[in-house]
Amino acid sequence: MAVNTRILKPEFEYFVPKSLQEALQLIVQYGPEAKVIAGGTDLLVQMKQEVISPKYLINIMKIPEMQFIKKEKDWLRIGAATKWNEIVDFCAKNDKYTALYEASHSLGKIQVRNMGTIGGNLCTASPAADSAPAILALNGRVKLACLGRERTLDLEDFFKGVNVTALAPNEIMTEIQIPSIQKGTGSAFLKITRVGADISKISCAVAVERQGEICTSCQIVLGAVAPVPLKLKDANKTIGGKHVDSSLLDEVGRKVSEGIKPITDIRSTADYRRQVAAVLFKDVFWMAWKRAGEGE
Amino acid sequence: MNKKVVNFTVNGEPHEVLVETNTLLLHVLRDELGLTGTKYSCGTGQCGSCTVLVNGEPILSCIFLAVAAEGADIVTIEGLSAPDGTLESVQEAFLDFGAIQCGFCTPGLVLMAKDLLNKNPNPSETEIREHIKGNLCRCTGYVSIVRAIKSCSK
Repeated sequence: MAVNTRILKPEFEYFVPKSLQEALQLIVQYGPEAKVIAGGTDLLVQMKQEVISPKYLINIMKIPEMQFIKKEKDWLRIGAATKWNEIVDFCAKNDKYTALYEASHSLGKIQVRNMGTIGGNLCTASPAADSAPAILALNGRVKLACLGRERTLDLEDFFKGVNVTALAPNEIMTEIQIPSIQKGTGSAFLKITRVGADISKISCAVAVERQGEICTSCQIVLGAVAPVPLKLKDANKTIGGKHVDSSLLDEVGRKVSEGIKPITDIRSTADYRRQVAAVLFKDVFWMAWKRAGEGE
Repeated sequence: MNKKVVNFTVNGEPHEVLVETNTLLLHVLRDELGLTGTKYSCGTGQCGSCTVLVNGEPILSCIFLAVAAEGADIVTIEGLSAPDGTLESVQEAFLDFGAIQCGFCTPGLVLMAKDLLNKNPNPSETEIREHIKGNLCRCTGYVSIVRAIKSCSK
């Protein structure tokens, strides 16, 4: 079937709320036929292809309280409607958030980073979303609001499947929170793509805590290898508390390959993803490990 | 019918247009304002041909709602040259270095080059390639494009 990409066929009513309260009221009023739009880099493409045809679009990009980056004592807080290029600029000046920097800097292309937002990337819930492995490895959480109530959820519990999240129909993601970076820790992110600005075949983020040559704790997360970005708990457990050397990493690499659930699709084969997962993990681990050592 | 009035400036000139909510900025520029320098190519935000500057930053007009441009300051490729038609130095460089083959990707690439040089007047080849990686040239004339941009560095 030929796919239209010229025009946007679905017709919809369009709202530009000035406050979160107003946006939450609109989403309750119009229910499941309404969609929140931020940068639109995923949503409008899906609408062009008529994968979805919402009757109401609620643009949240004119809500100042949803666009901020605040570095506090215990948390880095990022408004859900913050554009990627602002996050790239922030991370360039705050060099400890290396995994987040590498993920945000490699996401899409400059034009997409000028439009797309951190909340949008997470709420689309693509298994290949570049920001998800980095935020998961850094133990991030998200704040979801509905009228009169808000809740905080570990990002790990937010993803439920391909394009499926824990977000209720009356909720909007308002904020992403990442714990402050401690001394003796390091993180990194890498992805493999076919061409420069492309969706990941496979991606990996690692965050480690280091004491000398002992890895006291490790978070390994892979993207595009399962219906949701995957935290590899078994591999994390294997490495935690051990003296780090290349034979340990070979063992963990095998666990990473075994722990993922890749499929064969237009970007790659399941076999390739399994093979490259172990190699990619090791590369990312050594980057994170070295950085953790530099802080000591 | 879901129509809205939208106000914005394009290349310094104020415009007020009445658009359907599902109209994309690309089509307003091309069909309503006759600014056909901005190209429709992939339509799904992959190729960069439809790049324009909104409030000084490059975006993809094929996946940007016209209604979302309310109040914006937009610059298209037509806005780079002087009113008398004198080309911007980066446009001249594209001509000098043979960085144009079929020309379809050129408006987007020139705007990305201009954006880069505004932010970083002396970019390295790596920085140039990184900046234009989202703009596809199917004639694959990247070497000349990179050389043209490099020649404009201060």
